[in-house]
Amino acid sequence: MTLATSPAGSVEIIAAGQGKFHPVDPDGFRAYIRDHKSRALKSKLMTEKEAVERFVADGDYLSYECNYLMRGPNAVIHEVIRQRKKDLWLAGKFTYVDICLLVGAGCASKVDCGFFLSPKPVLRAIAEGKLEVFEYSNVIMTLRLQAGAMGVPFLPVRSFGGTHGFDYSGARLIRDPYTGVPITIVPALNPDVALIHVHQADIYGNARVFGTGISDVESALASKKVIISAEEIIDTEEIRSNPGLTRIPYYAVDAVVEAPFGSYPGTVPGYYASNPEGVFEIFRATGGDAVEPYIEKYVDSVENHLDMLDKRVGVKKLLDMKQREVIREGYHA
Amino acid sequence: MTRAEAFSDREVAMCAVAKIVEDGRTYWAAGGGTPLYSILLGKRLYAPELQYVTEDGVIAPEPLLPYEPMMTMVASRATRRALSWGTMNSAGIHAQLGYMDYGVLNTLQVDQHGNINSTIIGDYGPNTRRFGGPGGADTIAACCWRTILITDQEKRKFVRQVDFISSPGYLDGTAGARERAGLPKDTGPWRVVTPWAMYDFHERRLRLIGRMPWVTVEEILAECEWKPLIADEVAVLEAPTEEEVLLLRTELDVRGQTTDAAGAWITWDGEKYVRAG
Repeated sequence: MTLATSPAGSVEIIAAGQGKFHPVDPDGFRAYIRDHKSRALKSKLMTEKEAVERFVADGDYLSYECNYLMRGPNAVIHEVIRQRKKDLWLAGKFTYVDICLLVGAGCASKVDCGFFLSPKPVLRAIAEGKLEVFEYSNVIMTLRLQAGAMGVPFLPVRSFGGTHGFDYSGARLIRDPYTGVPITIVPALNPDVALIHVHQADIYGNARVFGTGISDVESALASKKVIISAEEIIDTEEIRSNPGLTRIPYYAVDAVVEAPFGSYPGTVPGYYASNPEGVFEIFRATGGDAVEPYIEKYVDSVENHLDMLDKRVGVKKLLDMKQREVIREGYHA
Repeated sequence: MTRAEAFSDREVAMCAVAKIVEDGRTYWAAGGGTPLYSILLGKRLYAPELQYVTEDGVIAPEPLLPYEPMMTMVASRATRRALSWGTMNSAGIHAQLGYMDYGVLNTLQVDQHGNINSTIIGDYGPNTRRFGGPGGADTIAACCWRTILITDQEKRKFVRQVDFISSPGYLDGTAGARERAGLPKDTGPWRVVTPWAMYDFHERRLRLIGRMPWVTVEEILAECEWKPLIADEVAVLEAPTEEEVLLLRTELDVRGQTTDAAGAWITWDGEKYVRAG
């Protein structure tokens, strides 16, 4: 092997953020995939209770896709709260109220910030030392997931350098060995578990998402354990009839949960609009420091997601959400 | 164009941004709210070939207005009839490649070098008041060729140095500072727009270049904790038009969540504008 010379000689680290970051271990991740992820086409259909019992552990790094208002995996997030999982490290990207809900329930002790609202329960947890925050941005978080989904330890990025977030993150500024120009690198993110709500999935986990999203595919591939909740369980023959629509392949998925109206009170585009009353209610609960009564009403006092829809929402509201979704183009519904 | 008879501070800022958009260019809106409404207003009234992109990777949608509360991204009305549906990484990567001409974003605080704070006020630590964080603004401010910042004209918002750089301006203001931090060349903040004034950057320092007819330069400077440079000629900016406020109120922000959020009302008394409050 001949040693190549680069304009900058060896790779120089110019600056390093001081933030704790979820450990980077691509070979460890590969070994996990080898040993724990089934390649067989076997049914992974289960209740949200079983999925969370089996695949969310205390201390896990947890990434959920979209947010409570927009195709969020709310049925599964509620179950995580119901089981009072502890010490979770959350990917706080493109999200408004979910962080407050999980922190208010005592489920989380760390969060990487892209964007989330910080009403009183969050500020209190930080002040009391119960919640540590590390600073990134939305795209930096999804690019970290992209690196995790590529099986590489880090990714060079063209933003984030020069910010104070950089100082409280796991980012590094290096001299690019190819051009000699400074470039920021961010650590790959391989969450322990991802929660993703999709439009359709088969029992094996082949999943279809219609419309836009944040980082569904990246999260699914980057995470050790993946829980898919789906509005509809469809036949595998239907998947095979239009393979181009499969966004997430079955072998990345550990659990498939059937969760119609699984994003209530939020929207699943093409299927149902949000319920504005429910949206205001969650903002009032988190913003008004009333997370506990909200959790009591929507999580603890009901058995599961379907029980919640039945007792707390009702058919009338659900049909109204369906009727108010007037756009069908692009959703294959 | 007809003069609007009455409008709010916040409406002024959105109408001012709408008048400076450039036709045929791409705009990346940070979140929903003011940046998105400013862009839509500009596209509808002044720049029909302007195309915009949202944080969830939607390219050039034809949204079904009005939006439902909070539903300015992902939801079907917001993403309707787009040319392409993507992801957050597709938007971010297109910006890294140089496809995003302009970014528009809100900031809590801005400093003399156009650095943007949307994370905290005060010293960073366990007892700090936290806000949302950078969201998509960090990548917008880093990678769009030009960035337009919207904020209120308040003393505590125009400071020498922001409490926290959530998204990059010209950093310490020295030539090449952005490049030394790994950011793409020839990018940076381009305009700062408030309900009272417009600023550009002269040698990477904030400079007052325009004022609304109802405020003086002195009044603006009184609402800057750190004084900006002042252009040789400070232009008098055009006040909102009836067409602009009508569109804002009847289609874009029908619940007044964004336009009524802050500031005073300005009215035309037949001879001059009067700002109440």
